[in-house]
Amino acid sequence: MRKIWAIVRREFVERVRTRWFWIGALLGPVLFGAVFFLSGQLGRGGGLKRIAIVDGTTTQLGARIAEQLGRSGDWAIRVPAAVGVVDSLTAQVRAKQLDGFLIVTDAALDSGKVEYRGSNVFAGKGALQRPVGEALTVVRLQRAGVDPRLVARASIPLRLETCKISRGTTCGESAAQSFSLAYFMGIILYTAILLYGINVMSSVLEEKTTRIVEVLVSSLRPFQLLLGKVLGVGAVSIFQFLIWGVAGRLLLARRAPLTGGDVGGADELFQVPHVTGATFAVFMAYFLGGFFLYSAMFAAVGAMSSTEQEARQAQQPVAWMLVLSFISMFAMLNDPGSTLAVTLSLIPFSSPVAMPVRWAAGTLPASELALSLAILLAAIGGVTWVAARIYRVGILMTGKRPNLKELVRWVRAA
Amino acid sequence: MTSPAPASSPKPILVLDRVRKAFAGHTAVDDLSLAVPPGVIYGLLGPNGAGKTTTIRMIMDILQPDAGSVRLFGGAAGGRMHAERIGYLPEERGLYRKMRVLDVLVFLGEMKGMERRRARQRAGEWLERLGLGQWRLRRIDELSKGMQQKVQFISTILHEPALVILDEAFAGLDPVNAQVMKDTVLELRARGATILFSTHIMEQAEKLCEHVCIIARGRKLVDGPLGDIKRTRGGHHLVVGFDGSVGAAARVFADTSIVKKVDDYGQYAEVELAPGADPQRVLRDLVGSGARLARFELREPSLLKIFIDLVGPEAVQAGVRPDA
Repeated sequence: MRKIWAIVRREFVERVRTRWFWIGALLGPVLFGAVFFLSGQLGRGGGLKRIAIVDGTTTQLGARIAEQLGRSGDWAIRVPAAVGVVDSLTAQVRAKQLDGFLIVTDAALDSGKVEYRGSNVFAGKGALQRPVGEALTVVRLQRAGVDPRLVARASIPLRLETCKISRGTTCGESAAQSFSLAYFMGIILYTAILLYGINVMSSVLEEKTTRIVEVLVSSLRPFQLLLGKVLGVGAVSIFQFLIWGVAGRLLLARRAPLTGGDVGGADELFQVPHVTGATFAVFMAYFLGGFFLYSAMFAAVGAMSSTEQEARQAQQPVAWMLVLSFISMFAMLNDPGSTLAVTLSLIPFSSPVAMPVRWAAGTLPASELALSLAILLAAIGGVTWVAARIYRVGILMTGKRPNLKELVRWVRAA
Repeated sequence: MTSPAPASSPKPILVLDRVRKAFAGHTAVDDLSLAVPPGVIYGLLGPNGAGKTTTIRMIMDILQPDAGSVRLFGGAAGGRMHAERIGYLPEERGLYRKMRVLDVLVFLGEMKGMERRRARQRAGEWLERLGLGQWRLRRIDELSKGMQQKVQFISTILHEPALVILDEAFAGLDPVNAQVMKDTVLELRARGATILFSTHIMEQAEKLCEHVCIIARGRKLVDGPLGDIKRTRGGHHLVVGFDGSVGAAARVFADTSIVKKVDDYGQYAEVELAPGADPQRVLRDLVGSGARLARFELREPSLLKIFIDLVGPEAVQAGVRPDA
């Protein structure tokens, strides 16, 4: 026991002592903050700053659109339709004096067709759809003789407030909070499991290539060595989380001043989530489960390789399993109850990322959570058993990497 | 000698009983039995690929024998149970490159069951003694290769093991470190420790070892106290010096029933006796022939000669490089 403890301490102390650990600890929150901020910027639908409205209408439509756009903060000028005006505006867009221009005619009231030409039509579509649509509706209603006051009341925009029904509370968090929580848990789980799994691999490889492993294995059993290593690296990751957690809280609390007071759409899409004790428990359970599962596999990869390059190559299949579950996270965020999401949250190789994401994004039955955890535990048992055997033989082997047949023999022979 | 056992029949500290280990395709160690008495320097000798490292790994519980058993310190268990009492220096060496010297030593001491504080203190003493005192807080990769060798050697003996196992101990050591190593080995031996070391360099073994075991292709060829082996293997070579020249002695050397081969150098001749021939009879015949003798000497063969005789020239060519 004391020897395992010594292994754990060495892995922990040596890692925490490195410059890289502290760079990671400090840079982590900054990077997450950047992702946060950038996602907010993207969610805002781009910035249309200067547009022109080519007004060919005899009704109030052009003026109305300009008014609506002005209300949402964009800057629009109204020019009467004339021969050559489109060409001169096009030239201005090319010269980047304008983002683009709208061409509005009376026909729009019947057909609903308004044309936008600009340098970034994607951003234009996002920014214009609603205000222009609202302006059309208002003018149509007015022309139909509806009381302007009634029109004004009818055009009060929708403010949909969402509320997630979760365990215990009826209104624990908003949709935005759920989303950002799930998003961040997914990113952190994926990054941490991959990063620290690879840490275990390089540690195994170092001991193998320097042959220290011979001295170690003559003092304690290979499995004890592996256990100490995994626990030590795991402790480093939890320490890292602690630092990130504290730093992240501080950063989020001061987010507004950092981004100049205006976080735009980020406010709508990303909000500081309320992390309940249960959520924290789910996160930690799946992090530890995923870490144990993947680090066992990474350890086996390290043991069967003789050089860094070999290991980098051999770890790809393992890393890909993790990458796949990360990629499918986005689909799961859209529909946490889909068959894909449910399947991925039961498969032990993807459940460490998938299940916490689903947990945070929506409500799920306790039975599903229990089943997923049980499968994960069973998989850890099985995978560790196989990996420990590969490890035991591999750490003493030199020369070429074993093929699949030899690996099977290693597992059987040990 | 601090061994409690009487010198006449010391209880062996390490016993291998018909140990066998095969890897895919070939048998590395085949039916090997040996016993290492306490307090000696024991040489495990053989050409490269003879199975020395495999044997040592089985002693250390790094590999499990396919058959047979390893017993240490009179118990049934192998090396791992006795890690506290064994110091092991593997053939290929390395240390954690990014760790500090003192930390590496403390850690490896802990692996051998030492308490941290004690390991730290002992490591400091040894570093001081081998001239590495001011390097204790440096990282391993800042040390020269020779210094790293010293650190690794310290890590092997830090916990004052009763049994020290050195695999190809002197290979790759610079001359200064080889001397340090030799002196330390002798000092450990004087304190009562048993040293088992493997080598393919016979000159070294001849200087240090009291007991040897020669193996080739996984099998034992001979073992026992070096003196005994020399005596039983020797006695076949004579050096006969003449007062003048061969003269009448030539007739005796021509007798193929007692003499197999003669190298005549004029002043003296080297004689290889026929199998079973008694050197005393040669002496009698020489005196009877009337030859005038200046010297008559039974020559002990060198360990290298015994080794080559046993292992065969092809194995020697394949593996033994006395110049290494």
